[in-house]
Amino acid sequence: MALPVLICDDSILARKQVRKSLPESFDVEVQTAGNGLEALAILRSQEIGLVFLDLTMPELDGIGVLEAIKAEQIDCFVIVISADIQPEMQRRVMELGALAFIQKPVNEDKLHGVLRQYGLF
Amino acid sequence: MNGSFNEEQRDCLQEIINVAMGLASDKLARFLNTFVHLQVPSIALVGASHLPAEIETRYQDIEAAMVSQGFFGNEGLRGEAIVLYQMENAHKISALLGYEPGDVSEIEMLTDISSILTTTFLNGLAEQLDNSMSYSAPRILSSRNRDIAEVLTNTSFHWEHALKVDISYQLIDHSFNCDMVLLIPGEAVNHIKTILDRILEEY
Repeated sequence: MALPVLICDDSILARKQVRKSLPESFDVEVQTAGNGLEALAILRSQEIGLVFLDLTMPELDGIGVLEAIKAEQIDCFVIVISADIQPEMQRRVMELGALAFIQKPVNEDKLHGVLRQYGLF
Repeated sequence: MNGSFNEEQRDCLQEIINVAMGLASDKLARFLNTFVHLQVPSIALVGASHLPAEIETRYQDIEAAMVSQGFFGNEGLRGEAIVLYQMENAHKISALLGYEPGDVSEIEMLTDISSILTTTFLNGLAEQLDNSMSYSAPRILSSRNRDIAEVLTNTSFHWEHALKVDISYQLIDHSFNCDMVLLIPGEAVNHIKTILDRILEEY
């Protein structure tokens, strides 16, 4: 069965980059969100297995999304893909329960490595 | 002039700038030994002759400083990067770094910060555009007393376009705003557009 995946980023290009970086044989059903609020609306109403989450976004940023996922105990894996590479930020997202942090622009090998590491692919 | 990039190109450039900003902020955070809260920078392309008017309102009646640094890449990608600060912000930063108010080295500090921001940002930009940059030494264009609009008019005179990147940094206990403006020739804009289209075709 296809894994429901959510790609959340305010940039259309970044969303496409993530989509294109997924392994070809990875059976997924992809939805997208342009900011944190849109992402939460989807996460609250549907079962999503895996979220690719940007941090710097309008309306609600990625930290806000991670906090809500934690507070509302929404069951999903989150991989953060961000340009904000400060060590302090990486520590914060991991503390908030993210599975991994990947630096933008997303590197395909790195992404595949993370997916394999957690048995998602 | 704002319509100079189409919507897809603008989204693409915005993302490339976000990535470059992320690198620059990381460097700045390490330099200031603090955490920088990143915001989405807003970008706009204007005719260079419109720049003074665009910038003047924001800096009216405010003590401001401007630091400029020339950059040179391949295929016509060259120009001048200007970072504008409100001195009030600069005082906050210098306090953070342990300088005394009015210290001469405050100007040195601004030059250092500008150089970190500009070169890290432009290196990040160049890498994504498959280019590479070299730089001239940063120089103070104006501090405090001189008229911002006048200095900008003189500086932007030689260039066709100005790519304005409105950067807003919030440090943990302080907020710090600055504007970065890239003055570039028309051929640089055309070159950037070609590259953006190439990137867009890939995805």
